[in-house]
Amino acid sequence: MWLPFLGLILGLAFGLLTDIQIPSAYENYLSIAVLAALDTIVGGIRANLQQVYDDKVFITGFFFNIALAIGLAFLGVHLGVDLYLAAIFAFGVRLFQNIAIIRRILIQKWEDRHVKKGEKTV
Amino acid sequence: MMGRLQHKQGKITRKHFISLFVCIVTGFIIGYSYNLAKDDKTLRSKFLEQEDYYRTELINQQERNKELMDELNELKGQIREHEQSLTEHAEDYKELAQEAEKLRLILGELPAHGEGIKVTLKDGDYDPKSTNPNDYIVHESHIFMVVNELKISGAEAIAINGHRLKPNSYIHCNGPVITVDGKQYPAPFEIEAIGNSETLISALKITGGVFDQLINDSIVVTIQAVDNIQMAKGGR
Repeated sequence: MWLPFLGLILGLAFGLLTDIQIPSAYENYLSIAVLAALDTIVGGIRANLQQVYDDKVFITGFFFNIALAIGLAFLGVHLGVDLYLAAIFAFGVRLFQNIAIIRRILIQKWEDRHVKKGEKTV
Repeated sequence: MMGRLQHKQGKITRKHFISLFVCIVTGFIIGYSYNLAKDDKTLRSKFLEQEDYYRTELINQQERNKELMDELNELKGQIREHEQSLTEHAEDYKELAQEAEKLRLILGELPAHGEGIKVTLKDGDYDPKSTNPNDYIVHESHIFMVVNELKISGAEAIAINGHRLKPNSYIHCNGPVITVDGKQYPAPFEIEAIGNSETLISALKITGGVFDQLINDSIVVTIQAVDNIQMAKGGR
């Protein structure tokens, strides 16, 4: 359980320590990549809790989502249409939905445990 | 059992490896963008600081400009006042300047030139009838008469034998010569006067005037108008 958090902290440290400068025009892509990554992680957690988790889906989803979002943003920049909004919208909505599902599942689990405990005690 | 456990453990480690990898990538992206945003923020704040600095400087400059403009306006007002008073008094000044010039001429402090007359007084020819030579030589009184007449009739500058007369000049008779300011001059006496020649001549030749009296005293008098008399300024 602690491994993902360790990874997150490790990644954060790496990210904070890297000193590579990219043109400010590409910062939009980065924000979308962040959103895509978060969406994938939350999606993975949800899938894990729903016991429909699959390594391949997870890892391909991670990279494919990021690539798709960045590609969409890239296309949007070059077409003069803010297509990255579509990615942000989709990811945002899915992020909230996934978090809501996770929350419900967690509440359900907690209630189940509580009930079991109650049964045991009684 | 062992194999199943191993399989399970392997599955778990793989799953964990993947999640670790994904988390590292996500963390990296987040950290990196945070770094960028921070840099951006500092950059922007630096820009803002600079902008603030320039703005305050601009404001200061504008205030200074305003102060200077106020000062300029004030000074302009003063100049205008001065100019007004100047125009008001310009005529007075002009008159005063002219008067001062005239007075200086009279005082003999300036070299004078201009039209005027030349009066020559010569001793009369020897008259055998007369026993007293005083009857036909030029006396100081004659010169006084001429000089006074010339002064009254508006001569601006008078000189006797080239000696400029000053207000405090003195003339006195000293035998055959006369002394002007301590210098002796023999006859004939040339009295030069600058002024309107017509006026001066007519003043001298008025009936019963200086000219007649001089003729009466058997003195040879010649009066001639001169276009341009040059007169040095009077010595001390």
